[in-house]
Amino acid sequence: MPLFQSENLTYYYPDREKPALKGINLSIEEGEFLLITGGSGSGKSSLARALAGLIPDFYGGRFGGKVYFQGRDMGQMDRRKLAREVGIVFQDPEKQLVMTSVEAEIAFGLENLGLPQAEMSRRVAEVLSFLDLAEVRQEFTAHLSGGQKQKLALAAVLAMQPQVLILDEPTSQLDPVAAEEFFNLIKRLNEEMGLTIILIEQRLERCFHLADRVVLMEDGQVKYEGTPEQLARWAVAREIPFIPPVARFFARIGFPSIPVTVKEGRRLLRSNFNYRKFPPLRPVVNENPEEPVLTMSRVWFTYPNGKEALQDISLQIAAGELVAILGTNGAGKSTLLKTMAGLLKPGRGRVLVMGRDLSNESRPGAGRIAYLSQNPNDYLFQDTVEEELLFTLKNFGLTDDGVVDDLLEKLGLQRYRRVNPRDLSSGERQRVALASILVTRPRLLVLDEPTRGMDYRLKDELGAMLMDLSKEGVSVVLVTHDVEFAAAYATRVLLLFAGRIVADGPKHQVLGQSVFYSTQIGKMCRGYVDGVLTLRDALDRLEPVWPARQVVPEVR
Amino acid sequence: MFDQFFYQDKGLFLQSLHPVAALSYAGVLMVLALLFTNPLYLLGLLLVIILAVAAVDGLAAWETYLKISLGMMLLVIIINPLVVHAGETIIWWGPRLPVFGRLTVSLEAICYGAAMSVRLLAIISIFCLYNLIVHPDKVLSLLARFASRSALVLSLATRMFPAMIRQMENIREVQVVRGVDFHAGTLKERLPKYAALMNILLLSSLEDSLEIAEAMQARAFGSGRRSCYRRDTWRPRDSLCLGGSLLALAVAVYGQAKGCSTFSFYPELDYLIKGPMTVIVLIIIILALSVPVVLSWGWQRCPYFKAKI
Amino acid sequence: MAFWRKMLFPFALVFILGLLLASIKINALLLGQGWGLLAPVIIIMALVLLYWGFEQGRVSSREVAVIAMLGTIAAVGRVPFAALPNIQPATFMVIISGFVFGPRAGFMAGSTAALVSNFFLGQGPWTPWQMFAWGLAGTSAGVMGIIFPRAGKKVMTVFSFLWGYLFGCIMNLWTWTGFVHPLNWQSFVATYAASFWFDTFHATGNAAFYLLFGPSFVKILQRFRRKLEVTLLPVIEGDKNAAL
Repeated sequence: MPLFQSENLTYYYPDREKPALKGINLSIEEGEFLLITGGSGSGKSSLARALAGLIPDFYGGRFGGKVYFQGRDMGQMDRRKLAREVGIVFQDPEKQLVMTSVEAEIAFGLENLGLPQAEMSRRVAEVLSFLDLAEVRQEFTAHLSGGQKQKLALAAVLAMQPQVLILDEPTSQLDPVAAEEFFNLIKRLNEEMGLTIILIEQRLERCFHLADRVVLMEDGQVKYEGTPEQLARWAVAREIPFIPPVARFFARIGFPSIPVTVKEGRRLLRSNFNYRKFPPLRPVVNENPEEPVLTMSRVWFTYPNGKEALQDISLQIAAGELVAILGTNGAGKSTLLKTMAGLLKPGRGRVLVMGRDLSNESRPGAGRIAYLSQNPNDYLFQDTVEEELLFTLKNFGLTDDGVVDDLLEKLGLQRYRRVNPRDLSSGERQRVALASILVTRPRLLVLDEPTRGMDYRLKDELGAMLMDLSKEGVSVVLVTHDVEFAAAYATRVLLLFAGRIVADGPKHQVLGQSVFYSTQIGKMCRGYVDGVLTLRDALDRLEPVWPARQVVPEVR
Repeated sequence: MFDQFFYQDKGLFLQSLHPVAALSYAGVLMVLALLFTNPLYLLGLLLVIILAVAAVDGLAAWETYLKISLGMMLLVIIINPLVVHAGETIIWWGPRLPVFGRLTVSLEAICYGAAMSVRLLAIISIFCLYNLIVHPDKVLSLLARFASRSALVLSLATRMFPAMIRQMENIREVQVVRGVDFHAGTLKERLPKYAALMNILLLSSLEDSLEIAEAMQARAFGSGRRSCYRRDTWRPRDSLCLGGSLLALAVAVYGQAKGCSTFSFYPELDYLIKGPMTVIVLIIIILALSVPVVLSWGWQRCPYFKAKI
Repeated sequence: MAFWRKMLFPFALVFILGLLLASIKINALLLGQGWGLLAPVIIIMALVLLYWGFEQGRVSSREVAVIAMLGTIAAVGRVPFAALPNIQPATFMVIISGFVFGPRAGFMAGSTAALVSNFFLGQGPWTPWQMFAWGLAGTSAGVMGIIFPRAGKKVMTVFSFLWGYLFGCIMNLWTWTGFVHPLNWQSFVATYAASFWFDTFHATGNAAFYLLFGPSFVKILQRFRRKLEVTLLPVIEGDKNAAL
């Protein structure tokens, strides 16, 4: 008997015409590691919520079909019983924690189950030690780091001792290191504790190989299900991006077996091909003789608590450059960005934009700088999309000379012109926020982690949009954890560590030399072909020299 | 600045008390401060409170409280003589005013005002002490035993507060980049700019609240009777402190009934010390209330003591 | 039964306020001295009663989260904002929360705002009085919302304006009952005079907020309130076939 069995599951959110899920028939075995993937709005999160019993219990709406858990109809199951069996961890750790201290947070679910004190104490202690949270057990939850918060959310669910753990893009708000750690935990839970794992994820580099089975969703339907390798082969044939770059590479060059990890990829490369020194890749240097858009000279910034977030930063950014800033949490990336935008005044040194010193202006930048913060919701409060744009124009005393129409067209927002921005999806909201700051025709655009929580398609759209802007002569600076994105779209990469710039140069130079800040393809090709970062690079370099005879290595 | 609790954990003795013991101690101090009218008793109480504050390294924090109190103390000292005509020893005859009648300032009213300002200082100092020794978390966990739902609302709001302050700051920055100058314009022009911040915060928070609710529901909230997780330990020190507090309360009630701790200001000042009982009761109360202070002193200096209590 | 449950709040409030007023008249009975102690006791009793009321009703997880959020926003409204240090929209937020979400939610939002902000700003003897004053502001706005659901901008602006002074009254009670003797109207006026300008500023701020932004904020909350109700329908057969 499968653990979960859905029959013809169809669901509409309240007041929605389009179904979020249509006719889903899926069965999930006990102990399985199931990966559910798909683009934004494909219904994968809705499916997770249906399996956790939150749809339709919490959401209402129209529900059809049946979901069985261990053979019992979930619609008839007691909510408490269900919560004991099925746990779910959501995307944003900020929005899952409800108590003030770590220990109380873990106990919250147990209290809701009405467990006796002795049982609660034991479970809280076990989970605290298993997840290595004992050190922070009395900490104020608001003071934990993002990674710790998400670990706490996991701990709180694990304390309820569920059989099934559903994870809805659990790492989308975390930095790569914390994300890695989180996935390692999940793997342990599956392998050592035998927990059934249902992982919803759209960034697959780190988790594709963990899964026993992958389900690809589109438009509320299951498009394909199979092992990771089967899916990779199937998806490549159809140009569907939801597979890791390594797999895409081997599938593209028509290799008979499809690896899904860097390790396997390297093994295939090794057995097929001898090391060759390639001439360095076309140097992407567009020396710009003009005056730079942004000049920072010897900039220091110290927070009131004494933390020196920026130390002696000097850099110049020319018109049309697309710069990606990489670095760990707390390296000073956001501080650097805010200093560029004129939101923070440097303690020492000067920041010049178009030759003018920012600290002398009451309204920093006066429309020449646009800043997109991490949360697009911070921008949206007007009744329509159009008014958001007009609001910024009015503040700078500008008139609409067709720029509103132009931008709405360019960002694909024309049909939402009269729609309340709060009714849009998160990707669309970000575009509205972007439009609301581009309306002044800035010369410098700075973005703080713009790809957070985005699927491949949205990322590609954003990348293309930024490339267009930089072609028009706008300098773009973005802070990101997403090396793949930086490798695909940036022209120049800055590496920041502890408030200092430790590397600065064209992306192939900086990322190509880095061991950790490199793409999956880059890691795979290291030592065989240097200077390869993206799938495109790899195909360009390796396809012509690929030996005609294809040695098929023994299948693992 | 606002992402830290006022309370700071320094691992001190008084901070390790069980919330019931700590709250009873503060509560008894509070009741006594409001009960006593005898200036000697009020001064004695203030002394104990300041000693306790000193025991948690809180004198620096107490200074801020002292500054807040000074204005109010002054107010109390001024208002009492102005509006009270019950005193007999008039030291100043003032002009006739429309609301208050003839202004008279009597010695008794000045003394009453002075005694009351000591009471005010004592009460504010008690809260200073409370802030220094009781972790908000402990109060919330205590409250959860009686009113779990209210405690949940409070702890959720407490958890969200620092994040929301930060979010407000982010929204402000975004508005600045979009051309809003918060420092320009008259008050009337600045108000809408501020309201826009609240507007965005409200919209985003309401959206977030649904996600929080969903996470709570997924963790079985509202699925039936809740139990309550307790994590505070009751040590001998808590019994001692609670005992001291209760003893002080009982003796104070006795003293109040016998008239030792009361003092009548009007129409003429009473005797401060009416007999040996006045002094004996006061000493017992001060000793009983000093239990936590003495224990704290011993705890810091004597390892044997540390292990026993 | 439902009626009594609903009316428990207004009754309890009237009872306690009555007790407070009566106490001023008959203080001779209590030696005049006791009010410094009795007034906080009454306030704390009132708070306990109001919290008890919240514990009794059925509250969904959505309501808990929304109430906590509204309380937090009001609490954030207490933190002085650099460019406008004297304007604090806390009372305004509490009033519109109560007006839209009812007396119970209004009370919780108001009292939560006071207690939670004081966790960070420092608790003081004013805490229970603030909890009571803001709680009552929320409750009364909630009662307004029930009795006059159509109360327009003008009525609510006046209502917010009055709450500026009422808030000052309640906050003055603790100084007055605790440290002034005898308790007569002259001494109350004298105590109140000290805070009069502050309260006028508060009242004007409230009125300005409501006048300029009340209706739009209320609209936001009302629009959101509809999302709190969950209705479940089966999929219509025709649709199901279309979906397949």
